[in-house]
Amino acid sequence: MNPSLFTGKLVRLAGQDPEIDPERIARWNRDTEYGGFISVHPMQLEGPAKWRERLQGEVTDRHYHFSIHALDGDQPIGFESIFGTRNQHGDCWVGIGIGDRAYWGRGYGTDAMRLLLQFCFQELNKHRVSLAVLSNNTRAIRSYLKNGFVQEGVVRGSDHRFGLRQDVVVMGILRSEWQAAVT
Amino acid sequence: MNNSLLVGKLTRLVQIDPEPLGENYARWARDTEFMQLFDTEAPVPRDAKKTQEWLRKRMEKARPGDFGFVIYPLEDDRPIGVTGLWDAMNPNRDAWVSVGIGERELWGKRYGSDALDLTLGFAFRELNLHRVNLNTFEFNERAVRSYLRLGFQAEGEMRGAMRRYGRRYNLVYMGVLREEWYARHRDLLETA
Repeated sequence: MNPSLFTGKLVRLAGQDPEIDPERIARWNRDTEYGGFISVHPMQLEGPAKWRERLQGEVTDRHYHFSIHALDGDQPIGFESIFGTRNQHGDCWVGIGIGDRAYWGRGYGTDAMRLLLQFCFQELNKHRVSLAVLSNNTRAIRSYLKNGFVQEGVVRGSDHRFGLRQDVVVMGILRSEWQAAVT
Repeated sequence: MNNSLLVGKLTRLVQIDPEPLGENYARWARDTEFMQLFDTEAPVPRDAKKTQEWLRKRMEKARPGDFGFVIYPLEDDRPIGVTGLWDAMNPNRDAWVSVGIGERELWGKRYGSDALDLTLGFAFRELNLHRVNLNTFEFNERAVRSYLRLGFQAEGEMRGAMRRYGRRYNLVYMGVLREEWYARHRDLLETA
């Protein structure tokens, strides 16, 4: 068992700060390559005030939001969330975004997801964790596979993004798969 | 008057009226077998008044793309179930669909299929959607058969995402594309 629940090899998780984080999130979302992958909704430019309101409202026992800090330099580089929790069925959904492009493709997101899965299984006692990703977000899919996610379905043409119909890939990881990978 | 958009072979779709629907829905909800086939949430008993209030609140909070319908059989004037399209006005041009027949003596008689096909017709003929999604439970074999018959394709299985009856079951994701639905309804395509 990892003695440190919220600190990995490259990143640590912190609570989101409604005072500090909104500026940064609003800035990340102006990067259309990032903004296009992060949500199924059309990209829009929302200022810090909107994000502040959102961050203040969403922390409950069914929603968890973390800020991802790089250990080198200790600055926030992205966020991750848990939502869609149904405790009676033991499942939840997760989402992640590395907003700071200097940290793309270098294992920071993978390390952050590893910590999030550890939190889901060790602390929240989940049976499985689900996520959805645009099929052309190959970098994200590679990262999820590395953490043990299995592709469970392809929702044909359910998203319209970057001017094209896109498939959405649904992935899941079971507790047993996670256990086998970490021991 | 040609009202074929909302009138099928066995059923017709009617606007939600919280009074009669609430009363009937509360009765259906006491049938826990129905609720276990219909909803991921645990079945809880509810009375007619609370259900009517809940329906009123839901109607107030409805987004422009939420269309809830009550299913009536052609032969008489009582609600037998519910269907609806949810989030149908988003720019991706897709929506979620749901259907449930609360009157158990009408199960397996294609009332649900007929009503769902009407809802799909509404989605593709009027709202011009690109696709319609649903999810259902591995153990609801009757529903899965009905969806396949209407042109849905199984697109994925979320392994063990449902815990019920003391074990785990898959959550089944299904989808039907506009052209797949029209392939079964060629008569509805206008030819120039």
